[in-house]
Order: sequence, then structure tokens, then C-alpha cells
Amino acid sequence: MKVLIIEDEVELLRSIQDFLEQERFLVESADNYEGGMDKILNYAYDIVLLDIMLPGGSGLDLLRSLKEKNVNQSVLILSAKDSVDDKVLGLEIGADDYLAKPFHFAELLARIKSIVRRNTQHGETIIRYQNVSLDMDNRIVMVDEQELPLNRKEFDMLYYFLLRPNKLLEKTTLAETVWGDHTDQADNLDFIYSQIKNLRKKLKDAQAELDIQAVYGVGYKLV
Amino acid sequence: MAVSVKYYTNRFIVITILIVMAVWALLFYAILMDEVYDNIDDGLKNQKIEIIREAYKNPEILENTKEFGVNQFKILPVEGADDELDKNRFSKEFIYMPYDEEDEPYRVLRTGFYSKEGKAYSLEIRTSTVEEDDYLINLAISLGVLYVVIILSILLINHFVLGQAWKPFQLTLDNLSRYRFGDTASFKVVPTKVKEFEELNQQVKHMIDRNEEVFESQKRFLENASHELQTPLAITINKLELLMNDTTLNEDQLVKLSGAKAALHRMVSLNRSLLMLSRIDNNQYVVNDLVNFIPIVRSLLDDLEDIAVFKGVELVLEGDIKEFNVNFNRDLAQILLSNLLRNAIKYNIPNGKVVVAIGVDKIEISNDTNSGALNPDYIFERFYKGSQDNYSNGLGLSIVRSILERQHEIELFYKYESGKHFFVLQKK
Repeated sequence: MKVLIIEDEVELLRSIQDFLEQERFLVESADNYEGGMDKILNYAYDIVLLDIMLPGGSGLDLLRSLKEKNVNQSVLILSAKDSVDDKVLGLEIGADDYLAKPFHFAELLARIKSIVRRNTQHGETIIRYQNVSLDMDNRIVMVDEQELPLNRKEFDMLYYFLLRPNKLLEKTTLAETVWGDHTDQADNLDFIYSQIKNLRKKLKDAQAELDIQAVYGVGYKLV
Repeated sequence: MAVSVKYYTNRFIVITILIVMAVWALLFYAILMDEVYDNIDDGLKNQKIEIIREAYKNPEILENTKEFGVNQFKILPVEGADDELDKNRFSKEFIYMPYDEEDEPYRVLRTGFYSKEGKAYSLEIRTSTVEEDDYLINLAISLGVLYVVIILSILLINHFVLGQAWKPFQLTLDNLSRYRFGDTASFKVVPTKVKEFEELNQQVKHMIDRNEEVFESQKRFLENASHELQTPLAITINKLELLMNDTTLNEDQLVKLSGAKAALHRMVSLNRSLLMLSRIDNNQYVVNDLVNFIPIVRSLLDDLEDIAVFKGVELVLEGDIKEFNVNFNRDLAQILLSNLLRNAIKYNIPNGKVVVAIGVDKIEISNDTNSGALNPDYIFERFYKGSQDNYSNGLGLSIVRSILERQHEIELFYKYESGKHFFVLQKK
């Protein structure tokens, strides 16, 4: 899958690039308005990650010209200027989603996947791992050919685990992505433990060939 | 004791006019009396000349005017006259006047002359003069009346004219008391024809504008500073995240990295809260529509259920009302209710309860506590923490207050009753 990142903070750009390459994306990047415009006009991407404040011009202008050229281009706005107006305007011009900096990579990945799933043929609506498959569109989890009933949060947790099997998923990331934007970071996050316990029990009872392991004090990973 | 400017000058006017009039009356009296005596004396001197001429022409009057009669003079022969015989000596005497049946003041001229034969005679001429005491009393009475009339006129003029003149000042004061910081439109300049008040208006307006400017730039500063922090925070957090994906790290290293990241996340949360505050204060949430609070409460309770269960707190929703519609910003309604519910769970006791009671025009959120009543003067302040609490950034309730300050639909009350905190959202 081909991704273009337009972001003027080189360090941030490099981090995102590293992460997405680890996730086996094909990544190209631009760190200013002109460079971004050049790439957008000449190549096609599955998704463009776009910063709003760029040297040389506004990301929103870039978004406009991009939409003039190709209405179907998927765009995810990344912005430090997390203002309501920018968000509304960006979505009105035609961005698919808006992610405020700083964000968790897991969240970035989930957003990219869901945008691509919605907009292109490449998007897999069903994620498979071992004998478990998860259908995002219909929100159904199957173990072998048996449906596994999960509540909303259990489903979301499993989705995040399945996006990156064998990778660490931190408690803070889980709390924020599954339990909502307004979770106070400083809240005691131990409540996640009992939720994970329930999910593990359900997976085990359904004889799924995967398990969730605790990484002590940090988070969990799917194995 | 403060006295209105209308009456402030009055005591000075009363005293000053009294002194001025008293001095004036004394001078007036003295000058007038001097003039009166001068006139009377001139008349007496003139009479003397006429009497002496008559005595030369007609010497028998020397013999038959030994007593005062109708003529009001008497001539008496003098033995052993000296040089000063014909000197004029004036005096004032009280002489019985049958008309008034009492002694009345007379002006008397004592002098002398030599007859045609060279005999010395004394001459005494008298005439009725002003009754000084009566005159003084009359003068005092009329001056007193004049004084009272003048003072009353001044008081009345002051009362009405000054009252009218100071009206713009009073209005300016009223407007100032209604002025709310951050809302320039709440102070209106009062049109006035008085130069000083016009100046006051200009200065007050100027001062308000300047303060608002400072306030505005302070708000902008907060917003910009928070924004500028986002990117370095994002870089640091994401770098740590990349590092944590390294499978060669051992658990101890992971825990340390995770600790660093958690601290950074607290900073992000604090930063987001500050940004939210400044955004609310900068009126960036303007889109209002009719928001039903009930589904928001329900979905929040659903979201918070897990945390509550973990903390051993029971969430109870009371009342079967389906709609609680308020003209509100949807995002802010979400934040408002979320902050109140989170607090109710966070500051609860083990096996406590959070009760959300929904009425027709109010939503009551109560939670068990053993902290005693909170001081409503402080809990809405920024960074106020009831007890030293590491899990709180101290901004939750001040965000609640900022949200409520920017609308006129609902208000929030706090009360403490029998071991429970109550936060009540009441429709106005």
C-alpha cells in the first residue's frame, strides 16, 4: 500500500515513516508545500497524510488542489493545530479523517486502515490471524466457522490487537482508542486488566489459537 | 461618611454665604448710618444758621424760646462764655415722645452765638432721628429672609441641575458594574455634554480596550504555547513508541520507557485541557443546536462502566425522561457531562454510588464521599486540587465552568447533603 506523508517536522516525519515501513507500507514523503504539491500532482497514493501548517503554504490549499485533481484520493489530516474550525473546514473540503497530534501509532494505523477500507479495493474488510477472522464492516468475529459474540469494547480491543499481532499495545493506547478521547490520561488504567481478562476467557472458551499476553506494567501483545 | 457630590458643596455654600452676608450687613449698616447722621447734622447746621439770622432780625425770639416748643430748639443766655461758644457739638439723646409714649432717639446740636448786642447765648437744636435698634432688627430680619431664600434657591438648583448634570456619570457607573471581563460589548459609552464626563468615558473605554487587549494576547499566548508544545511532544512520544517496538528490549527497559511515555502523556493531557480551556474562552465552539443530553449521558455511562466496576462504584441512572433538550454545542455538552461523571466516579468511596437523576428541567449527579463539603468558591479554580492527587490535572471543573460561562441555557449548582456531593445542572 502506498502512502504519502506531507509533514514539515522532519523528526516526526521520520518516525511516522519508520513505523509505517515496519507495517510494510510503501512510504514517500515531502516536508514542504511545493514538494507535497509536486508529488500529489504526479503520482497516485492509497492515502495521503497531510499536515495543515506547512512552510510555503497551507495544507488546506494542498487538499483543495488534490481534490480538484482526484476527488477519490483518501486524505488523513494530521494537525498540531487541533482547532475546531480547521477540523470542520478540512472535512468539508474532503479529507476523510482528522487526527490531532500527538497520536498513538496504533491509532494512526487503525485510522489509515479504516479509510483505505472504505475508499479503495485494496482495503481488506476482513482481518485474519490464525483461526480468528474479524469482519470490520459487519463487526463480526469468527473463530474457525463459529461466531464469537463480543461487546463493543471487546471487539475494538481485538481489532487493535489484530492490526499488529506480536506487537506491544500499551495500556494508555488501549484506554484512549477504545474508551474514548476524553479518558483522562492520569486515570488509573488498571481497569483494563479485567477487560483483557474477559476477552482472553472468551477467546480461550472458543478455542481460538491466539492469546493475549501481558507485558508487565506496560501493556499487552497478541501472540 | 460619603456624601453625594450634589450636596457636597452645600455646607460650604451655607457657611460662606452666611459670613459674606454678615460682613456685608455690617458694612452696609455702618455706611448707611454714617450717611444718615451726616444728612441730619447738615440739616441741624442749616437750621442753626437760619435761627441765628432770625435772631439778628428779630431779637424777641431770644426771649420766648427758652424751652423746646414746636420749633424744637431753645436759646438760653450764657454767663462767662469762652472761645468755644460757637463750636458745634452733636450728640444722641433719648427724649420722651408722646406719640410713641416712650423715649425715642433724638439728634441734638449744642452750640452758641453772640447776639447783635454782643451777648452770649447757647443754642440747642434737636430733631428726631432713626431708631437704630428697630432699624437693626428690621435689617436683620430682611437679611435673614434673603439668606434663607438664597440658600433654598441654591439647594434647589444644585439638586435639579447637578442631578441632571451628573446623570451620565451615574450611568457610566452602572455600565461599569455591568461590565464583564472579556466581553467588550458589555460596556457602553454614555453620551454626555459635560466635558469631564466625556473625558471619563474616553479614559474608561481606553482602559477597558487596553485590558481586553492584554487579556486577549494572554489567551492567544496560552493557545499558541499549547500548540507549539504539541509537535515536540508528538515527536518524543512517537520515537519512544518506535523504540518500544524493538523486540530485543527486556521487560525492565520497557517499563522504564513506558514510565517516560506515561509522564509525557500526562503532559499531553494537561496541554489538551489547557488548549480546550483557551478554545472555549476564545469562543471557538460556536455551532449551537438543540442537543438532547440523555443519549450523551447514557453513552458516557456505558463508556465509564468498566472503570466504575473496577473501582467498585455503582452507576445508577434514575428517571425515565427521554428528552432533555438544550440549545448547546454538541462537543461541549459531551465534555461537560464527561467531566462531571468522571469526577463523580474518581472521587467516590469503595462500594459507593454515582446517581444520575434526570428531571424535567434538571440533571442531578451525586456521588458518595467521605471528604465532607467542598468549597464552591475554589473547586472551579484552575489547578485547584482538593487533596494532593496525582491522578488529576486540576482542570476538569474549570473547563466545566468555562463551558457554562459561555451560554445562557443551563447553570450548575453544587451542594453537599448527608455524605454526598451533588452537582446539579438546572435549566434557566
